[in-house]
Amino acid sequence: MELTASQMDALTELINIGYARAAAALSELTGHRISLLVPEVEVHLIPEIAESLQKVIKGDVVSVNQIFSGPINGNALLLLDREAAMLLNQLLTDRAEKSDLDGAAREVITELGNIVLNACLGAFGNLLKVQVTFTVPSLQVESVQRVIRSITVAGTELEYALIIHTRFHVRASNVSGYLVIILGVTSLKTLIVELKKWEDRELK
Amino acid sequence: MKAKILVVDDSGLARRITRKILEELGYEVEDVSDGAQALEAYVLHHHDVVVLDLLMHGMYGGDVLNKLRELNPALPVIIATADIQRTTREAVKEAGAVAMVNKPVSKDELQEVLKVVLAGGTLWN
Repeated sequence: MELTASQMDALTELINIGYARAAAALSELTGHRISLLVPEVEVHLIPEIAESLQKVIKGDVVSVNQIFSGPINGNALLLLDREAAMLLNQLLTDRAEKSDLDGAAREVITELGNIVLNACLGAFGNLLKVQVTFTVPSLQVESVQRVIRSITVAGTELEYALIIHTRFHVRASNVSGYLVIILGVTSLKTLIVELKKWEDRELK
Repeated sequence: MKAKILVVDDSGLARRITRKILEELGYEVEDVSDGAQALEAYVLHHHDVVVLDLLMHGMYGGDVLNKLRELNPALPVIIATADIQRTTREAVKEAGAVAMVNKPVSKDELQEVLKVVLAGGTLWN
């Protein structure tokens, strides 16, 4: 399913707004300014995304996964490499850096993922006038491939993924994070329809 | 005479929305999609106000703001951004912008801001 240039432009602007809201939430949490970089948006078929993400995230990835439902439903994931997760945990808790993500650190990163994903998807919902509800977030630490496989096995209708490549700087550290939104074909079509309605409302 | 406003944003949708609002408010509008084009357009047409996005491909909006202020320290530049961080607001204020509006921009807010800015004021309350 190919998006037209105009659809991609509207989608990118929507994501830009959602991403900025997510970064603001992260700034509030960490107490540090988040320097934003332009997010790059890609739409992939599910079988292609693990490969695409493995190019940029090596080894195990810390993922916070939330299922969302409503007129548009799917999975939203925040993916962080281990270093980024450790740094964010340190910033949020002021604890000395440990070598691994213990239970307390996992709880912190899960809540951080929850807030960031809600800020981003909440902005989408508000702008598109679509009500989205979330399940409780879950955290996994494993390879990108295993993370994606576990999601797609649970939701067999899921076919497409919007990958939002983002990097942000926190306190002079270059933290890489990736937001991935996995959708079925029906939801992707609904998203495109809602994007057009949003554009029409704004230009009315 | 209509005030001339330059809109700088790499999103086509954002440019169309802002242009439509400004034209409805009675302004003359030119829009461009990156910082280099913005500097060129400003040198050629000396707009009365610039509405500038921050997060753009190519030149960062903050750098465009600095360059515009080098060209004309009195030029009113309004930042239009999705970034709602307080520190961003402080940074653009410090860099000489006259106001900041959050995206998606609303007609009421832009109208209010332009009224103040075109009268020579700033909006940082």
